[in-house]
Amino acid sequence: MATKTVNVSKPYTWSEKIYLLAIVQGLLITLKHFINGFFLRKHNTIMYPEVRREYSDRFRGAHFISIDRNKTENCTACYLCQTVCPAECITIVAGERESAHNPDGVKKEKQPVKFDIDALRCCFCGFCEEACPKDAIKLSGKYEMAITSREEAKYDLVYLKREVKGRG
Amino acid sequence: MTLFDFIQLFAKIAVVLGFALTSVPFLVWFERRGSAWMQGRVGPNRVGPFGLLQSVADVLKLFTKESFIPGHVNKFFYVLAPVIALAAPVGALMVIPFGSHVIVFGQKIVLQIAEIDSGLIFLLAFAGLEVYPVILGGWASHNKYTVLGSLRGSSQMVSYEISMGMSILSMLIIYGTFNLQEMVFWQSEKIFGFIPYWGVVVNPIGALIFFIAIFAETNRLPFDLPEGDSEIVGGYHIEYGAMKFGMFFLAEYVAMVMASALISTMFFGGFGLLPGFASLVEFVGTFTSGSPETVQNIQAVFEFVSLLLKVGFFLFVFVWVRWTLPRFRFDQLMDLGWKILFPLSFVNLIVIILVSHFFVK
Amino acid sequence: MCNNIKIDGEAVEFVQGDTILQAAERAGKGHLIPRYCYHPGLPIAGTCRMCTVEVEKMPKLMTACSTIATDGMVVNTKSERVLKSRAGVMEFLLTNHPLDCPVCDKAGECELQDNNYRYGPVTSSFLEEKRVYSKAATKKLSPNITLNMNRCVHCERCVRFTEEVVKSCDLMMINRGWHKELTLSDEKLGLTSNYQGCLSDICPVGAHTFNDFRFKKRSWFLEQYPSVCDRCSKGCNISVHSENGVVYRFKPHYNEKVNGHWICDEGRLSYHQVMDATRIVKPLLAHEGSLKSTSWELAGAAVNYLITSASKVKVVIGTDATNEEMKYIQASLPDKFGKKFEFSSYCGYGEDKKLDHMLMMKDKTPNSNGASACKLNHLDGDLVGDCDVAILIRYGRSGVPQVKNCKKIIIIGVWTQKEIGSFGTNVEVVLPGLATTEKSGTYINCDGVSQNFSPAIAHLGEGLAVNSIISFFKK
Repeated sequence: MATKTVNVSKPYTWSEKIYLLAIVQGLLITLKHFINGFFLRKHNTIMYPEVRREYSDRFRGAHFISIDRNKTENCTACYLCQTVCPAECITIVAGERESAHNPDGVKKEKQPVKFDIDALRCCFCGFCEEACPKDAIKLSGKYEMAITSREEAKYDLVYLKREVKGRG
Repeated sequence: MTLFDFIQLFAKIAVVLGFALTSVPFLVWFERRGSAWMQGRVGPNRVGPFGLLQSVADVLKLFTKESFIPGHVNKFFYVLAPVIALAAPVGALMVIPFGSHVIVFGQKIVLQIAEIDSGLIFLLAFAGLEVYPVILGGWASHNKYTVLGSLRGSSQMVSYEISMGMSILSMLIIYGTFNLQEMVFWQSEKIFGFIPYWGVVVNPIGALIFFIAIFAETNRLPFDLPEGDSEIVGGYHIEYGAMKFGMFFLAEYVAMVMASALISTMFFGGFGLLPGFASLVEFVGTFTSGSPETVQNIQAVFEFVSLLLKVGFFLFVFVWVRWTLPRFRFDQLMDLGWKILFPLSFVNLIVIILVSHFFVK
Repeated sequence: MCNNIKIDGEAVEFVQGDTILQAAERAGKGHLIPRYCYHPGLPIAGTCRMCTVEVEKMPKLMTACSTIATDGMVVNTKSERVLKSRAGVMEFLLTNHPLDCPVCDKAGECELQDNNYRYGPVTSSFLEEKRVYSKAATKKLSPNITLNMNRCVHCERCVRFTEEVVKSCDLMMINRGWHKELTLSDEKLGLTSNYQGCLSDICPVGAHTFNDFRFKKRSWFLEQYPSVCDRCSKGCNISVHSENGVVYRFKPHYNEKVNGHWICDEGRLSYHQVMDATRIVKPLLAHEGSLKSTSWELAGAAVNYLITSASKVKVVIGTDATNEEMKYIQASLPDKFGKKFEFSSYCGYGEDKKLDHMLMMKDKTPNSNGASACKLNHLDGDLVGDCDVAILIRYGRSGVPQVKNCKKIIIIGVWTQKEIGSFGTNVEVVLPGLATTEKSGTYINCDGVSQNFSPAIAHLGEGLAVNSIISFFKK
C-alpha cells in the first residue's frame, strides 16, 4: 500500500506573520477575563478555609475504625487488612478482649491491642476497607492530612477510633 | 538661588518621587490581582482591604530579612548595582514635565524638576545607565548563572536601545527640540479641531517601535529574559537577598513608571489636557475669582491629572501585556531586535527626514 | 496375594484390614476423601459422615473411614451422589458454625474451611437463628487450651484422644443432638494430660485453641520447616512455624518410629528458650570485671591465648550437641593446639527413663546416646574441677555443670545471661552457637534412632556453627 504524504501545515498569511493582529486578539481575550474578574467577580478559585471542595462519596481519605454504641471498635484484629495491604502499612497486634460479652450481645473475643497505620506508606487503595469482614476499617472523606512530623503519620488506635459522622 | 527656589524644588521632587515610589506597592498589588483576574483567580485578598496591604507586608518582610552578603562576591560592585538600578529611573524622572506651570505668590513655577533644554538627552543618558546594574550585579555576584543572566540582559538592552534611539531621533526631527516641555506644547494642537495632534498620530510606526523597545528596556514580559524567574534559574540578581533584592524589584517598577511617563510625554501629549478636560477647567474656574493665576493653577492641576491618567493607562498596559504574551526565545528576541525593529526604525527615520525636509515648511 | 480395590477407576493395592480411607491414604489418594472425625492416630468413629463414598453393589453410600476394603471393591469418590451428600453434610455442619473465621486462629489451616471451599454449597437454606452456647462461648479448659464451643462440629476427635491416646479421659460429650456439648469430665481437675496442645492440632475447626499461640499470628503468614525437638531424649519430629526468623510455635511432624502424631506440651513450648530475650547472641569478652560484647576475631584471639598458656584444659560437651559437633570438637581442638584436652560429656538429668506411657523422657537432652557413640565419658557428678581452663559447650538443653577450682572458663553455645552469671567472674570468653532449630546435624534418641535434621530458621544475632567458631582460634 502506497503511502501518501499530506502536508497539513499551511504557510502563515501576511497578517499572521507580523503578529500584531494576534497580539491584539490575545490582549482582548485577557481583557475580557480581566473585566470578568474585576467587575463581575467571576473566578474559579475555591476560597479554601471557608469554602471546601465537594468530593465524591467514593473519595478515600484518612482511615478510621468504626465503633459501636459502646465506643468499642468493631475491629476483631483478624489481620485481613494487614494481609491484603499492598503497601504493608498496617501493623496489628491482637489480644484477648477482657469482657468476652459486650453489652450489645455482639461477641468480640479478639481485639486489636495495637493497630497502627503508617499514613506515609499508605497508598489509599481502599483494599483494607474491602477486605474487612466487620466493616471496621474505613476510609473517610477527610483529605486534610498535613502533619509536622513523621510520628504524626502513624495513626494509632486512639486516632483511628475517633468519632466520624457519615463519611467524615 | 533663593530660599523660594529651594522650597519649590523640594516640593516638586517630593511630588514626583512621592507619586513614583508610592505607586510601586500599588503596582505590585495590581500586578498580582490583575493577573489573577485575567486567569480566573482571586489573587491576594487577605491582607488589608482587597489585599492592598499585601505589598506592605512583602516590603516589611524584605526589610526585616537578614541583609546578607555572600562571601564570594565583589562587595563594592555588589552593593553598588542595586543603587544604580534604583537611581537611574529616578534620575530620568527628573526631566519629565508634569504640568505647564503654576503661579504661587506671583512667581511662575515650571512643573518640571530639572528645566533643561537637552532634557531628552539627559533622560536617555539616565535610561542608558539601566544596563549597568544588570552587568555589575551579575558580574560582582561571581556566579555563573548570574553572569549568564547579565549577559542575556545586557545584550538585549543594548540591542533594543538602538531601535529606541532611532524612533526618538525621528520624533526629534518632527518636534525640532530636545526640550520635553516644548514637545508637549507641540502636541497640544488638534487636527480638524478634534483629533489630538499627538506624536503617535504623526509617527505611528515610530511610536510602535518605541513602545516595543521600552518593554525590552524595562525587562518586562515578553522580554524578561534577564530575569526569567520561572525557567532559567533567575537572572543577574540570584545572589541578592533582603532589601538589596528589594531595590532591584523597586527599580523595575519605578522604571515602568518612568517609561510610561516618557511614552505619554513623547507620543500621547504628555501633560496636555485629555479631550473634554478643557471645558472641565472652565467649569471649575467659574467657582473661583476667575483671575488668570487661579485659572492657570486649576489648569495645572488638571494637566497633572491628565498625565497621571495617561501614565496609569500605560502601567495597566504593561501588566496587561505581561499576562497575555509568553516570553520570547533568545534567538527570536535577537531576530526581532536586529532584523525587524532596527531596519524598520531606520527606514522610518529616513522617511520622516524626507517628509519633513520636502513637505513641511 | 494381590489385594486391589479400584478408586475412581484406578487400581490401588491395600493391606488386609485397611479401610477404604486408609487404602486411599496408602496410595496417596487421601485428598480425594474429605473427613472430620477420622484421624490416623485415633480410633475410628464414623460419626461425621463426611467421608462417604459410593461403592459398587452397595445400595447406600459407605463411610470410607470405617468400611473395610475387600478385594475387587470399586469405589467412586466423585459421583454425583457423593458430591451431593458432602454438600449436604457441609450445609448441616455450617448451620450452627459461627463463621467467625476472621477471629479464629484456625483460619487458614481449618479443615472446615478447606472442605467447604471444595465441596460445600454456596448458599445455606438455614434461615433460623444459630445455636449459641452462651455459657461457654470461650472457656479456658486449662492454662494451655481455650475451648470455643460454638465452633465445634462434634467430631469427637478430642474425646477419643483423651480416652484412647493419653488415657486421661478429661473430656466428654453431654446431651444429644442440638444440645450436644463438650465438657470436662471433672470441672475442678480440668485437663490433666501433658499433651493438651495436640487437642488444638487434631481439632478440625477452631474449637480448641492453644493459648500460647492464641491471637499471636495468622497461620497463613507462617513458614513451616521440619526439625527435631531437643527437649528430651525422645527426639520428637516437629515442624517449626516461623515468620521473619521469629518462631511462633512448634507442631508435631508425623514419624511412625518416634512420636507418631504427637508431641508433649513441654516440647511444644520449648521454642521460648530458643527465642529467649536474654539468650547471648554476640561474642563476649571479659574486660575490667564484666563481660563486654566484642568481635569474633578478638574473642578467638583471647581463646587462643588462654588455651596456649594453660597446662590443663578440660572440655565439657553437653549432651545437647549433635554427633557432628562432638566429633569435630574432639578432633579439631587437639589438632589445632597440639596439646592434650580432657573431653567429657554431661547431661545434668541423670539416668534416662520413661516418664509416662507415651513420649516424655526423664533425660531432657536430645543426644545422650550420641555422646556415648562419640566415646565421650560422662562427667562425674556434673562437676568440673581442678584445671586451668574449662571449655563448656552446651546448646541450651542440658543442665548447667558446677565448676570448681577452674581459673578460667570459656563458654560456647546457647546460654542465657542468668546461666552464665552462675559461674561468677571466672568466665573469660562467651562464644554464641546455634540452637537445634538453627543448625543441621544428627541426634541419636533414647531408642537408638539416628535422626538427621536441617536448619528451620535463620540463626539469631551473630551465633555461628561450631566449626566456624573454632576457625577463629588461630594457631
